[in-house]
Amino acid sequence: MVNERESLFRRLSAACGGHDGAVAGEPLPGGAPLAPEGDRVALFEKTFTAAGGILLRAPVEKTLSDLGETLRAEGVTALFFPEDDAASREIAEALVPFGPFNLTTAEEVREGSTSVTAGFRTAEAGIAETGTIVETSAGGKTLLPGLLADVHVSIVPVTSVVGRMEEALSILAAGTPRNISFLTGPSKTADIEQTLTVGAHGPKKAIALLLG
Amino acid sequence: MPYNAGMDPKGPIPVSLFFTCLADAFSPGVCNATVEVLERFGATVRVPLSQTCCGQPAFNSGNRKEARAMARKFLLTFPDEGPIVTPSGSCAAMVKHGYPVLFRNEPRMLARARAVGDRIFELSQFLVDVLGVTDPKSDFSGKVTYHDSCHLRRGLGVVSAPRKLLRAVPGVEFVEMEESDRCCGFGGVFSLKNPQISCKMTERKVERILATGASYVTSGDLGCLLNIGGLISRFGYPVKAIHLAEILAGGTGGLSSFAADAASEDARPPGTIRRAGGR
Amino acid sequence: MELNANAFGRNSRKALLDKTLQEALGRTTGRFQAHRDAAVAAFPEFEATRERASRIKRDVLDHLDTYLARFIAEAEKRGTIVHVARDAAQAREIAARIARDEGVTLAVKSKSMASEEISFNEALQGAGVTVVESDLGEFIIQLAGEAPSHIIAPAVHKTREQISRLFERHLGEPPTDSIPELVGMARKHLRAKFLSAGMGVSGGNFLVADTGSVVLVTNEGNGRMGTVLPRVHLAVVGIEKVIPRMADLPTFLRILPRSASGQAISSYVSIVTGTRRAGDPEGPERMHILLLDCGRSAILEGKYREILKCVRCAACLNACPVYQSVGGHAYGWVYSGPIGAVLTPLLVGLPEAAALPDASTLCGACADVCPVKIPLPDFLLELRSDAREQGLKTPGEIAAMKGYAGVMKRAGLLEAIERIAGVLGQFFTKGKGIGGLPYPFSGWTERRDFPAPAARPFRKQWKIKRGARG
Repeated sequence: MVNERESLFRRLSAACGGHDGAVAGEPLPGGAPLAPEGDRVALFEKTFTAAGGILLRAPVEKTLSDLGETLRAEGVTALFFPEDDAASREIAEALVPFGPFNLTTAEEVREGSTSVTAGFRTAEAGIAETGTIVETSAGGKTLLPGLLADVHVSIVPVTSVVGRMEEALSILAAGTPRNISFLTGPSKTADIEQTLTVGAHGPKKAIALLLG
Repeated sequence: MPYNAGMDPKGPIPVSLFFTCLADAFSPGVCNATVEVLERFGATVRVPLSQTCCGQPAFNSGNRKEARAMARKFLLTFPDEGPIVTPSGSCAAMVKHGYPVLFRNEPRMLARARAVGDRIFELSQFLVDVLGVTDPKSDFSGKVTYHDSCHLRRGLGVVSAPRKLLRAVPGVEFVEMEESDRCCGFGGVFSLKNPQISCKMTERKVERILATGASYVTSGDLGCLLNIGGLISRFGYPVKAIHLAEILAGGTGGLSSFAADAASEDARPPGTIRRAGGR
Repeated sequence: MELNANAFGRNSRKALLDKTLQEALGRTTGRFQAHRDAAVAAFPEFEATRERASRIKRDVLDHLDTYLARFIAEAEKRGTIVHVARDAAQAREIAARIARDEGVTLAVKSKSMASEEISFNEALQGAGVTVVESDLGEFIIQLAGEAPSHIIAPAVHKTREQISRLFERHLGEPPTDSIPELVGMARKHLRAKFLSAGMGVSGGNFLVADTGSVVLVTNEGNGRMGTVLPRVHLAVVGIEKVIPRMADLPTFLRILPRSASGQAISSYVSIVTGTRRAGDPEGPERMHILLLDCGRSAILEGKYREILKCVRCAACLNACPVYQSVGGHAYGWVYSGPIGAVLTPLLVGLPEAAALPDASTLCGACADVCPVKIPLPDFLLELRSDAREQGLKTPGEIAAMKGYAGVMKRAGLLEAIERIAGVLGQFFTKGKGIGGLPYPFSGWTERRDFPAPAARPFRKQWKIKRGARG
């Protein structure tokens, strides 16, 4: 195996023509074109919605009843959230009376629950450029709510909204957690006759709850 | 890119005509029309009679040995200073972009190829960008749609010049077709090697042309027009393929190669060329 | 997969006569292109970003040894096991060994063109592993026993009616003509596979050299499922997919989805780096990366280096009127459209695929849209020239070209021939278009007239009217 690797690098070095190993350092165009003008949060609201997400930002009581209604409309019967995510727990528990919803766990969903579920999770960041929710595995956090649920509810503190992808990566890629996920809108496919359809494998609805 | 070398703004503008082998053999009316328009705007047209083909069919099919022979001959035929004008975006693009590839290992020929490449212009490009023509002074009338030849548009970047000229002809009702920049399916040897695909593409092009309700479809390349015209002729569609030069020259006609009156190729013989206008 | 590229002519004629295929192409043709154009128009920085992406890729290729070494070192530092395969046979061997050593019996796979190059599924099936394609399009064609016909929409050639029949037969689902219902059936079926598979197999859109990460871009979320749920993750990736820095990733994320599907960004981007860490509640315990050379280092050495800049967005397919006319299968291998017409001969050898570079009108629409500025038409021309030099042209074509060059060398000879043609033309067709010609013009005249030669060519007219001086 090592021999095969050495042989590959011999071929590559020969092909690259014996350069000095230094890598070109010329300035590149198009690197920082997207410092969003104006309000990051307002842009995030716009892009998140444009990507097919539902954004809620209102006084808490109104938001809860709106969210409850949206989840009922999707046929959601069970809610789950990470054990160590206080904000998600608080909101999910407060939502129960707007249901009726049961509380369940990621493990149960993974074992193959037949309920229609909503998974709650606090986002590490929102990206205004694209309307993206960022979740990582840093610090042992779980990714299952945004992965297995039929509806994904992201809790997004306004202070976590950044302008561009670069900013999110420079913060979150430090220490390179095993998984950094950019989630933008619901899961979708256009594989059948190029007709856009939601809910291929992941959530059929992506909801963001802007806090603060 | 304005071209000025060898031109005295007060005197006549010497222009060499590269009439192209295709127009020579199939549509001499296009060559005559080109001469007429150039002379109308003060050009003195010189026609090197030893010219033949730019070598594009050989180059595009990968037969570079033959293409190189053609290119050498072309460079000998057009040795002088001064602009070379041709009624074909495709042939101009061949000289401009193909020749440097053919001579990439021959520095002296490469320099000559580049120099000639800088001197060659497609007709509408030359009229608008070099001569600054805004009114082509044509009495053509009819509803016209325009097909962007791939090599004129993408090879030479000429998009607006032909449209500006067409819109400036008072009798022309100009209408854009959908997908005007989509290939008509000709592709030179492609149309012989993959004729069924070629024809499928031509059918789609002709559908778009018919949808405009235009009486004429025009373009800056005879290859496209012979292809499109060939399908129109076969099915007898109510639209005529006509070269841009013919519209600019005035009168009404259409490519003679599919018309019963082809024998009237002398309808616009060189002797009748009007020596009208200046710039 | 099985190579059938030199049958392009026959394949394409069949495709043109295939009513279902033509209908599928008709339903989809142009949509991709329209979406891409709209997304580019809505993003004023596209050109600058495209230029940046192109230069980064060029830099990577010029220093691929350096960047790849960096990538491997960083990946291994984070617990990833890196394998290198010289060719497809070796890659199959390694993949089968990984599956056996990991004790895997079921693998879920997200879309990977590289894995198609090496016939990955067959290799694992040979090792007793069931491989389930999880990308909806790939899943459909796997059920149908076919190969993908498009880089990002592998089942673009299938209609909903055909898909419903496949789901009926293979999944026991009731017939439907509702696309959302079909998507729901696949979701249910594949979710169970994700939850029980021992290994997730993926390709890789990018390999990040400074962190050792594999980046996956999907809309469905299957890439994400397959790299979070199963206990083993295997990524099969070409060596050219390296980008220098994590900081370069946004540049590519801005051009890839816009060029591919017209989205500002795809639904899911997963940046996966190594194995599950202490305290992580989920994630693979083992991560393997299988790096494929499979002809790439040879391409790197020659004049076609820039073809390795390709990010597999498929914009060139969508822009290509030839691809739109015949679909992807006509190209007879993994890659179709303009990128396939160049890449296939380079990867499998020109003698095996010399028909592909001819499958283009050289219209240049592909180069217009390529987000990393690969000069595809130039490469097509170059390959046609290589075909001549390698003796792959038919004697008929060479004879015709020699004859043509012989005539064109002398204007007088050309004039004489034109004169004869003109006379014949007038005699037989009275100057009208010609309705029927022998080979090689017979294809042209099937549904088009061929122009009649002029009775008196321009050169002759000029001589008569203006004298022979020129």
